[in-house]
Amino acid sequence: MKHFTKLAIAAAVAGVTAGAAMAQELYTPNLAYRTGPFAATGIPLMNGQADYLNMLNARDGGIGGIMINAEECETGYSTEKGVECYEKTKGKAIVTQPWSTGITLQVLPKTNVDEIPILAPGYGFSPMMEGTTFQWAFNAPSGYWDGADMIVQYLESQGDLSGKTIAFLHLDHPYGKEPIPVFEKMAGDKGFTFEPIPVGLKEMQNQSAQWLQIRRMRPDYVVMWGWGAMNAGAITEAVKTKFPMENMIGVWWSGHDADLAIVGDKGKGYKSISWSFPNMDAPVMADIKKHVVDAGKSQSNDTEMQGVFYGRGIVISAVLAEGIAAAQAEYGTAEITAAQLRWGLENINMTEERINELGLTGMVAPFSTSCSNHTGHSGGWMLEWDGAKFVKVSDHLTPNVASYQELANTKAAEYAEANAPWPTNENCGG
Amino acid sequence: MLYRTAGQFKTSYEADQALFPIKQDAFLLGVILLLAVVVFPLTASEFTFQTLLIPILIYSLAALGLNILTGFAGQLSLGTAAFMGVGAYACYKMITLMPWMNPIVAILLSGVFSAGIGVAFGIPSLRIKGFYLAIATLAAQFFLVWLFEKWAWLYNYNASGAIQVPNLEMFGVYVSGPQASSIVQYYVVLFIVGLLTWVCINLTRGNLGRTWKATRDMDIAAELIGINLMKSKLTAFAVSSYIVGVAGALFVFMWRGAAEPNLFDIPLSFRILFIAIIGGLGSVMGNYLGAILIVGLPVVLNLLPNALGIPIGSATVEHLNIMIVGSLIVFFLIVEPHGLAQLWRLIREKLIIWPFPH
Repeated sequence: MKHFTKLAIAAAVAGVTAGAAMAQELYTPNLAYRTGPFAATGIPLMNGQADYLNMLNARDGGIGGIMINAEECETGYSTEKGVECYEKTKGKAIVTQPWSTGITLQVLPKTNVDEIPILAPGYGFSPMMEGTTFQWAFNAPSGYWDGADMIVQYLESQGDLSGKTIAFLHLDHPYGKEPIPVFEKMAGDKGFTFEPIPVGLKEMQNQSAQWLQIRRMRPDYVVMWGWGAMNAGAITEAVKTKFPMENMIGVWWSGHDADLAIVGDKGKGYKSISWSFPNMDAPVMADIKKHVVDAGKSQSNDTEMQGVFYGRGIVISAVLAEGIAAAQAEYGTAEITAAQLRWGLENINMTEERINELGLTGMVAPFSTSCSNHTGHSGGWMLEWDGAKFVKVSDHLTPNVASYQELANTKAAEYAEANAPWPTNENCGG
Repeated sequence: MLYRTAGQFKTSYEADQALFPIKQDAFLLGVILLLAVVVFPLTASEFTFQTLLIPILIYSLAALGLNILTGFAGQLSLGTAAFMGVGAYACYKMITLMPWMNPIVAILLSGVFSAGIGVAFGIPSLRIKGFYLAIATLAAQFFLVWLFEKWAWLYNYNASGAIQVPNLEMFGVYVSGPQASSIVQYYVVLFIVGLLTWVCINLTRGNLGRTWKATRDMDIAAELIGINLMKSKLTAFAVSSYIVGVAGALFVFMWRGAAEPNLFDIPLSFRILFIAIIGGLGSVMGNYLGAILIVGLPVVLNLLPNALGIPIGSATVEHLNIMIVGSLIVFFLIVEPHGLAQLWRLIREKLIIWPFPH
């Protein structure tokens, strides 16, 4: 009996110390998709994200002296697997990164109950920018409506838009439909014709019908909200129908180097709005090379690391790291909780100096979040394919948020009403 | 030994025709029910509820619906997912138009809509058979998913084109939506699945079930002995689509919480068809076994490396998982082409005569 008690005590002690050892890290799971139909775009993003956090762990010993455990949970972009991953990780996770609009839609309503921040940089439901309603959701540094506004701004800088036609080639999916309300509003204000052309999920690789329609319509510009195989399909089809490439503009998820490498020189002039830029001269790239790549801890390769998506992965992890750092500074503890990280993500202040200090020079534009503004609206740059890589062709563009703030408030209120009871953050000053 | 039937005498026709003529079967069912009703809910974590218990039950129900049509009545269908979609959208519209409606009533009623659509798409089955009918149901699959995308009224003109389940209360407890607790949802699912399984067992053993089986085995012979083929086939379509529709409503309201049209696309139809085939066509229990294999096993396999402390990346686990589950499917189909239910039947027969096989 005595022996048994001793054993039990030993086991209990081991359990407690193991628990303590477990807590010596911040668990920031990533619902990655390195398999499945969208793996080609997922891999560089995930590699960028993982490499940045690995670099922080190796160089600084984590953030604020605590290691980051950015374990990946594979979803294959499937909503079902995503929910499985969310349930599996939510116990000790301080953040969830759902990575697909489908998974975001599933997870978003649960956040008020589970109280875990969702970080969906540059994707997800655009009205998430309204932080009073969506207390736990963040899509910093830019949302789709910002992207739509910046594209129209850029087109305006190329000449008056009134009387012109913009064809909107989009994936027929919640993601592709996301910017339509803002485009329609701007079409009314600025007097251009806006023609949505949906591409079904099954037609992604074969868009001959859509491009026939575009050829008949003769739009001045084609704006594309595509993803995965749809991008390559549209770009090759545009080359085939000899659509002037310089009049084709994609959202940030339609600016994947590999999609354009297929057409090479013929894709010259294709543009993509982006809130991130792969600046190979940024100090952070050297650090990643030194601490992660040379140590053999990276799954990436040279070509991939020069791409837009890898750089974007780095920026996404940097946003998360900034949120963690802000929370640690505020609460005076390294081991922050999910609720504290929420405060941190609401108080990110990425100034130009801070960006340089982090070594991210030129990779992301300055932005700051607040309790009512969960997007930050960093704005971005227009990138252009020069036949071999993407280059910046515009100055820093800032979205005109005021023009759709009201729309965001209405949509957020509608969402809250449909999901009643939906607690909103009443003590949100501004 | 365990299954010794010696001493169990039947003294009436009722006893001989009983659902469980052997006591041990009834006992086994009792144990399973005890597990499902008491033990699992008390011990399960949120993760187990959301990734194992609830989905396995819902997929079993959908496969059961398909099995009525394909396994019992012999009409091959590839449109299961679309009929699930009809149930889900019908339930969503009822709930949003009539918020006072009891959620369980709404879920049970939503099957009526898919039964109607199912009968409409079942009419060609009177003229065409086999693979040709499969193509006709495939048309239903494509048409209905297209309709879910294009008919904005179905999703209340939501900008994203997806449906989102609201918080629904019943007797002061949330049963669906984000506020609902998993255990409540589990019991609702268990109740509905249990109820429909009970109905199905009785239907397939009764007059209607015998009519379906006769139609399946040889429709000309069935017609000659006086079975009305039209009635037989259309009731099969109606009952099957009803169950599939209820499964669809449960799928979205009790488990997923949100759905976009392409969720109800053909991969889901195939998944349910696999469950029905691997479980065993023409069996009720097989659907549960099939769902455990196809839905439950990958989840458990995903957890294994972590539980055993093997450090491999989650993407690798996923690749391995697909390979293991795929080869298991091939293995089971080679060992027993009639499905897991038949495998269990053989094991049980061997157990009954054990240890003295003739």
